[in-house]
Amino acid sequence: MFANPLVAIVDDDASFRAALEGFLRSLGCRALGFASAEDFLQSGAPDRVGCVVSDIQMPGMSGIELARTLGARDRGAAVILVTALAGEQWPRAARESGAVCLLQKPFDPQELALCLSRAMGG
Amino acid sequence: MTGGLGGFLDLIPESVLLRRTDGLILEWNAAAETLYGLPRARAIGRFAADLFGTGAGPEEALAALESTGAWEGALPRPGADGRDRIVHVRWRRGEGPEAAIVETGRDITAERAAAEALRKSEHRYRNLFQAMAASFWELDFFPVGEMLYRLRKSGAVADWPGHFAANPALVREMMRATRVIDVNEQTVATFGRAGGGKEELLRSVEPFWPEASSGVFAASVAAAVGGAPNFSAETRLRTIDGREFPALFTACFPADTMNKGTLLVGVIDLSELVAAQQALARMQDEMAHAARVSMLGELAASIAHEINQPLGAIAAHAAAGQRWLDRDPPELDEVRALMASVGADACRAADIVGRVRAMASGHAPEPGPVPVNAVIADAVTFLNHEIRRSGTRVETRLCRSDPVVLADRVQLQQVVVNLAMNALQAMADTPAPLLSLETGTRGGRVLLGIADTGPGVAAEVLPRLFDSFFTTRATGMGMGLAIARGIAGRFGGEIRAGNRPGGGALFEVDLPVCPGGILAHTKV
Repeated sequence: MFANPLVAIVDDDASFRAALEGFLRSLGCRALGFASAEDFLQSGAPDRVGCVVSDIQMPGMSGIELARTLGARDRGAAVILVTALAGEQWPRAARESGAVCLLQKPFDPQELALCLSRAMGG
Repeated sequence: MTGGLGGFLDLIPESVLLRRTDGLILEWNAAAETLYGLPRARAIGRFAADLFGTGAGPEEALAALESTGAWEGALPRPGADGRDRIVHVRWRRGEGPEAAIVETGRDITAERAAAEALRKSEHRYRNLFQAMAASFWELDFFPVGEMLYRLRKSGAVADWPGHFAANPALVREMMRATRVIDVNEQTVATFGRAGGGKEELLRSVEPFWPEASSGVFAASVAAAVGGAPNFSAETRLRTIDGREFPALFTACFPADTMNKGTLLVGVIDLSELVAAQQALARMQDEMAHAARVSMLGELAASIAHEINQPLGAIAAHAAAGQRWLDRDPPELDEVRALMASVGADACRAADIVGRVRAMASGHAPEPGPVPVNAVIADAVTFLNHEIRRSGTRVETRLCRSDPVVLADRVQLQQVVVNLAMNALQAMADTPAPLLSLETGTRGGRVLLGIADTGPGVAAEVLPRLFDSFFTTRATGMGMGLAIARGIAGRFGGEIRAGNRPGGGALFEVDLPVCPGGILAHTKV
């Protein structure tokens, strides 16, 4: 894993976003939080981050669309998708969007750590 | 004999005629002319029996005249206008064998009619009193009147209701001083012992008034003293053997009976009505509860999502804490900061569970002051996930005075969540869906508006919208709006449905403002 890689968290739920930021910091990452996919895309961060952890269900652009948008770029960051909804459609939609991982809330944070190392190391 | 005496007789207001024992009329005064419509000249010299067409008189009258020389009584006679009159006549026979008979007469037709009308009226009243399905009481209020008169004279009392409220013992004393004069059969059936008569009810009214109902008795006395024509209130009364029951108590204070010191009181036993109302209310509560549970079912995925957010956050905090502790040396400041966040997220999860539990509860509704702004805010929280998932923008315009209504909080919540859910579902195919939630006041009413930008309600659907089992959706029982309207109705309100000029539906919940007005900071 790179030293202090930069990771973006995109989730409209402020407390969950803050919790993930804290967890990533404890992993040695630098974390940037965004309340929506649009905010993130307009921030200039997409070119700097190594990885994006995004919720699927958000007002405006969904996490799936965000993964697709980033996947279409030349040098897009790896995307880890998170959902709180149980649904058979999500794993397939996540795969097709180019996301590297799909986690269902509430998830074991160790799984996120594994996903991160896969996304940035692999 | 005629001229001088006639002039004198004319001064007498009663009719006077003088006749021989055989009935030949000798004298006829002016009052007789007026009463019978016959001039003196045409009356004198004729026989009374022919003149009045009634014969000489009743047998017993003639017999009394014969034996005692006097008689008086009422006789029918044709009057001046040709109609029959009742004339009260007095006969006196002079001394001697050829003595004439003096008859004085007074027209009592009108008096008789009035007496008859009064008798009929009293008869009718007695019949009503006895036969009505309501319990009627005739009370002797005179001793209470005396007590109040003395109090008023002493100048100590300016405000009767206040005085009664401050002196409960006085109220009980007034009850003891109020005696029952008469009661009807229904009263015996309602208040008496099974198989008992009315005699045991003819006593003071005190045993029939439970302590808790004293205020109603006091209010009725205050109404009577204050000159009100009548008084009526729902209260609880007690039978002679101590059973309490809900009753409608009415008293009327007509001036004539009040002057006599008697009072007419009516009581209607509301036991069955109240029991039926309670059964209906229980059924409505059960239906409202069933609808809430079904609504929770529809929202299950959303609720799970809402709870998963804080749970996920807690898991992340725990994992982060573990890592900070594993460092050498442990980063205790980081862990300390995390603990606060864990607590906050746990509270948030508990809060969501609490809301769901309140919604799921089947407790009997407890009407109390409910600030409507908080209800709107709660509904938005409750539907948070549905709102986000559907990408709906929410616009709330809350009344600054924070109006309060008297309602059951959970049920009112249910109404608003139900209407807001309908609005979200109506906008499923609407681009840029917008849910507008508004509170306001108009007169003594509080309004909660729930509007959407969906297709609106079709005109042909509007009249049936609140009917049970009416639905335009493929799923659902069509009970939501019927139950919502039922809930509003129980708190003295209603729900109106319509379309906004700019498109979309508008539902307006209209409730009376809570007496006591506005609670600025009610604990939510």
